[in-house]
Amino acid sequence: MAEKLMDIKDLKVRFKTEDGFISTVNGVTFNMNEGETLAIVGESGSGKSVTSLALMGILPPNGEVYEGEMSFRDKNLRTLSKKDYRALRGNEISMIFQEPMTALNPVFTVGYQLRETLIVHFKMTKQQANIRGIQMLELVGIPDAEKAMGRFPHQLSGGMRQRVMIAMALSCNPRLLIADEPTTALDVTIQAQILTLMRNLKEKSNTSIMIITHDLGVVAELADRVIVMYAGEVVEEAPIYELFENPLHPYTKGLMASIPKVHDVVDDLYSIEGTVPNPANMPSGCKFHPRCPLADIECTKIHPALEYVNEGHAKRCIKV
Amino acid sequence: MKYLFQNLLKTIPVLLLITLIVFLLVRVTGDPVSLMLPETATEEERESLREALGFNEPLPVQYFTYLGDLVRGDFGDSFRYNTDAMALVLERLPATFELAFASMIVAILISVPLGILSAVKRNSFFDLFITGGAVLGKAMPSFWLGIMLILFLAVNVQIFPVSGRDGFQHLILPALTLGTGIAAEMTRLIRSSMLEILGQDFIRTARSKGLKEGIVVNKHAFRNALIPVVTIMALQTSTLIGGTLITETVFAWPGLGQLLVQAVNLRDMSVVQAATFLIAIFVIMSNLIADLMYRMLDPRIKYD
Ligand SMILES: Nc1ncnc2c1ncn2[C@@H]1O[C@H](COP(=O)(O)OP(=O)(O)O)[C@@H](O)[C@H]1O
Ligand code: SF4
Ligand SMILES: [Mg+2]
Repeated sequence: MAEKLMDIKDLKVRFKTEDGFISTVNGVTFNMNEGETLAIVGESGSGKSVTSLALMGILPPNGEVYEGEMSFRDKNLRTLSKKDYRALRGNEISMIFQEPMTALNPVFTVGYQLRETLIVHFKMTKQQANIRGIQMLELVGIPDAEKAMGRFPHQLSGGMRQRVMIAMALSCNPRLLIADEPTTALDVTIQAQILTLMRNLKEKSNTSIMIITHDLGVVAELADRVIVMYAGEVVEEAPIYELFENPLHPYTKGLMASIPKVHDVVDDLYSIEGTVPNPANMPSGCKFHPRCPLADIECTKIHPALEYVNEGHAKRCIKV
Repeated sequence: MKYLFQNLLKTIPVLLLITLIVFLLVRVTGDPVSLMLPETATEEERESLREALGFNEPLPVQYFTYLGDLVRGDFGDSFRYNTDAMALVLERLPATFELAFASMIVAILISVPLGILSAVKRNSFFDLFITGGAVLGKAMPSFWLGIMLILFLAVNVQIFPVSGRDGFQHLILPALTLGTGIAAEMTRLIRSSMLEILGQDFIRTARSKGLKEGIVVNKHAFRNALIPVVTIMALQTSTLIGGTLITETVFAWPGLGQLLVQAVNLRDMSVVQAATFLIAIFVIMSNLIADLMYRMLDPRIKYD
């Protein structure tokens, strides 16, 4: 049995807005093992990014975790001091984001931004950090890495910037890499390159990867296990093979039905009608009922619990 | 370098236009002859002085004579002091620079920390207090602030001298007076610029790297927030060179502004022309420096 890397139990996150608090993550539970690649899927607005930012301890200023437990290895993240949390971030847990165009600081060179993390966490000298930075850029397939260190982000293409982000995130050998929609903002061909890169990195290192996506094609490429999120809740959890063979939750089935047959023209083609509910105005009972083909009167009253049907496969639905 | 040179070339027509406007303005406001001669002077005496000073030439001829002299560095003599006009102006420069520089330092020392802090603590009591203070500071007339400072810090509690220019002590109150007004404007600007930058994706990235919040704010955010602020700072500096008359008067500070207003009242044409010419050069230079700094701070702007 693999060792447990991190554990989230009943996590709830809310934001302070003009209309008071709105809760956008409503009791999320999942864990990850060392070396595992976990995918979190769900439509935009289902709380995937907020969950990962909560785990990183970098929620926006108006957001807060108001309930639940989060631990990473032996550390309780909810009681961790700011200083200890900082020591973890960018070092043991690191993150890459959806928007490579805006995720790098426009006024600092690639080299500066790469070195910074190494100097903070590994107490490297500038020269040492520089050497390591160049190695990292080479690792992620940036041509002429030495020259690229002196470049500013705007001088690089979106794909190259995402490679820089990956290099930066991996530079301190994290135990956990969170990749929040790392390919969504890129062209299809570049998407494929970045995915290949991530798969290679996954094979070469023992870094665990949490990949957040709304693209089941990406899931199939990378993940060992999948969490499906809807309206701030986990609605299904399953090993990758199980999920594709035997999806249980009507929402998951809807997502499956919308995967195009030919993989390389992956696009958002969700056939599920309606939209993700507004967190300020959640449906009663099962949150999916307004869009669910199987919904009946019971579904509007009962809020289903996440139940395991067999080892590692859970669903939040009273009808299946 | 090429960029700088091109911009310097572009300033020549601007300077020419300014000399023309000032030249015309000092002439339509009346000639100085009546002020230069005693009231008892006859019309003939006046006329011969006009002739001697060249005021009877047609205006275009006068203008080109003036331009020709200017190119040779000759701004004419002051009617009032009978000395070289430019020399009079240059004599005032150190005082003006000193005050401008000190005011800018005061403004920066106040506005940078307050602007950053109120952005970081947005909508807190502190932020409201600072934002309110900035509105007041901007609305407050500088002569009133100057007089209040004199009253409290030079008369009631005699910490600082009331007026004049004689060492560092004398600099503080006028610099506070001018600096506060600029700080008010700059604090608001830095606050809003910081607020915008703090919401950007790369700030989240910086946090995700495990950097200290101080580094995230003061380095990653402020370095970006500074870009729009620098332009305003340079513009403010240029107004400090020519437009500090009120403060100079309140504190009897012997600067360029004071000299210029005296010269206008006395219709001391050469001094007016020399002073405005120099001020124009400083304004143009501040703009150029602003532009250069802007380009230095923002690598996204290309030189060409
Ligand atoms: N700073 C914020 N203030 C208020 N609401 C927010 C904020 N950030 C995210 N949200 C809300 O949280 C919900 C989940 O967002 P997110 O986690 O980004 O979804 P996704 O699954 O697409 O990553 C959304 O409804 C979003 O509007
Ligand atoms: S509980 Fe009812 S509404 Fe919810 S997913 Fe199951 S069938 Fe659909
Ligand atoms: Mg997201």
